Amino acid sequence: MSETTKKVESAGLMKYSTENLVPFGPIHPALKEPEYFKLVLEGEKIVEVIPRIGYVHRGLEKAAEMRPWVQNMYMFERTCGICSFVHSLCYGQAVEELTIYEVPRRAKYIRLIVAELERIHSHLLWVGLMGHWAGFETLFMWVWRDREIVLDIVEAISGNRIHKSMNAFCGVRRDMPENMEEQIVEKMKYLADRTRYYREIIDTEETMLERTEKIGKVSADTAEKLCAVGPMARYVGIQHDVRLNDPYAAYDEVPFSIVTRNEGDVHGLLRLRLDELIVSTELVTYAVKHLPEGQIRVKIPPIIPAGEHSSHCEAPRGEIFYYVKSTGGRTPDRVKSRQPTMANLPTALEMLKGLTIADVPIVLTAIDPCFGCMDRMSFLDTETNRHWTWSGEQLRQYGIKYYKQRRT
Amino acid sequence: MVRRTIATVRYQILQTKEDVELLLQIFEALVFPGVLFTIGVGFLFDWLDRKTAARMQGRIGPKIAGPSGILQPFADFLKLLFKEEIIPSHADRTIFLFAPALFLLAPLLSMLFIPILALSPIASFDYDILAILFLLAYAAFVVSVLSYSSASSFTTIATGRLVLQYVSYEIPLVLAIITAVLYTRSLSVEGIVAAQSKLWNIFVMPFAFAVYIIALMAELEKPPFDIPSAKTEIVAGWLTEFSGRALAFLKLTKEVSYVFGSALAVSLFLGGPLGPEFSGVPIWILYFSYFMVKLLAVGFLIFVLKTSMARIKIGQATELFWKILTPVSLGQIILILVLIQGGILVVS
Repeated sequence: MSETTKKVESAGLMKYSTENLVPFGPIHPALKEPEYFKLVLEGEKIVEVIPRIGYVHRGLEKAAEMRPWVQNMYMFERTCGICSFVHSLCYGQAVEELTIYEVPRRAKYIRLIVAELERIHSHLLWVGLMGHWAGFETLFMWVWRDREIVLDIVEAISGNRIHKSMNAFCGVRRDMPENMEEQIVEKMKYLADRTRYYREIIDTEETMLERTEKIGKVSADTAEKLCAVGPMARYVGIQHDVRLNDPYAAYDEVPFSIVTRNEGDVHGLLRLRLDELIVSTELVTYAVKHLPEGQIRVKIPPIIPAGEHSSHCEAPRGEIFYYVKSTGGRTPDRVKSRQPTMANLPTALEMLKGLTIADVPIVLTAIDPCFGCMDRMSFLDTETNRHWTWSGEQLRQYGIKYYKQRRT
Repeated sequence: MVRRTIATVRYQILQTKEDVELLLQIFEALVFPGVLFTIGVGFLFDWLDRKTAARMQGRIGPKIAGPSGILQPFADFLKLLFKEEIIPSHADRTIFLFAPALFLLAPLLSMLFIPILALSPIASFDYDILAILFLLAYAAFVVSVLSYSSASSFTTIATGRLVLQYVSYEIPLVLAIITAVLYTRSLSVEGIVAAQSKLWNIFVMPFAFAVYIIALMAELEKPPFDIPSAKTEIVAGWLTEFSGRALAFLKLTKEVSYVFGSALAVSLFLGGPLGPEFSGVPIWILYFSYFMVKLLAVGFLIFVLKTSMARIKIGQATELFWKILTPVSLGQIILILVLIQGGILVVS
């Protein structure tokens, strides 16, 4: 054990004896991405959870500083394999604010359609996973079969199933395919029907209710204090949705209402996301029917004027945030991104307290985690609580020094 | 020379009619409807299980090996036989290697007590229900020991769950069997089957049948009771550390237990191989067809039930068995006894 690890261990865990600690991860069948949770147990009951994040740090923000503005858009799209479009949308919006160009109205609608299709695909994937973790294989298979419908539509629109690469600065790269309107409307109706059926299943299936009801209780105050975002805020009754609070794309032109629930348990989260699916299908139907005519893209020069701006969007998992700073060059000076899992993790740890080990997979899945997206890096001395930043060069020098020391 | 030897041996062995009978009995015990046949039905059940689940979930299921993939379970079994066998360094080697064989013994032996071709099974004595109950407990014991012998953290948790699940389902299971015994006044499977020639037990004791099926699902670890082998929580449960031949035989044992559990349900509640008889058709063909139809019906009931449910937690399973199913099966016994005393039901 290295000196630093010892310090971290001693900082948080002094008050617990080692017998009561059960490691969960970083390699665990219930986690598809590496993340480490130390569970402090009292018998079967969890009294404290200590997370250790950062196993899949990829240096995205640093990489952005070395790439042209346009290339970054497609790199940030690869932040997440599930909610890819919304990342490029959020980054693109921040950059667009720095320029003098306007996004055409038709492009805004197409952005809304793709973003909502992505939300449907993400939520369906999550519902299926919840079935899988609860041991309900049939639900998993059914939901993932229906998810193919959305992926087919996305493929018809963008040419890709997951990484759509639809966005460009001030517009989108491809127009909506012709003669698809009827087909999309029909399929959205089918999906809404299927979603209502799934809602009926999770409300009536006894085994599913026993696994989800009254599990992971969190009060609205706690969630608000811990800055929960997206569905994690809405399931305790907080009206938090960027689409409504600060509309982007065409959300200010389409009629829709957000869903909130008051149960504050895993079953409530299931209901909430299924209800949101129906809202999303209605949004797509409306937008496809009211798609305005006009151009889809304004060409902008590759150099972005100096300045800084931030932007936020409602990803399927909650609010994502991008900050962009330009010094008038071909590459950004600084890009900062924050993903919803980062904001939701404290609430998830709160949900786990008082439950048993058998509930851990289902609660961790319930927040729809995307650990790979959220890993960022900062410097912190746990003993003095000092917090600092280093430039790339300083970090490089530190690395050289560290490996020289290790060799000797 | 060789031919002459064989002829001599044949002449010497098959001298009398008793010798032919003996050979037939050995054939019955080892091939049909004994050990090999049971294993074959086990593979068939595995294939049906996978195919039904796949169809219900909107998938295709196995389709490469044999027509519609019917040989897939056998192919999987063969493949596992040729795989490398890894023994964990902490494991208790003796138990780890021998227990799978001991485990397979339980359902194969129990299956010999089930009448299939005629009213009398291959092996039977007056109290063979007790032997079957013993073999059920024996199987649970062996699987706990072999799970514990592999000494990994996942199998340790699985062992705890196995034992807790066993003490939960055993009482309702035994009570359901006892109901049939009490009503038919017989402690042998043969006697219970013979007593159902007019009316199947399921019409007299529907609740006992339901309790038996639910407890059977717990014994076979089918959802919602796949708690000791919950793959999303504890990898493969008690199977985690097994590989190669041992894994092949453990999987086979699970399928054979499936067949035996369904066969016992058929014998206790559905009249065994009994059914309408026609002149001209050999009686054993009729009995065999009736038995297989009932066996597949019970198997199919379990396939459908398990496909439509989520896994529950071990505490919830214990509560279900102790708080609901045990009182229900006790109530069924009392109801039967009261009806017999009141003269409404006639003991056959």
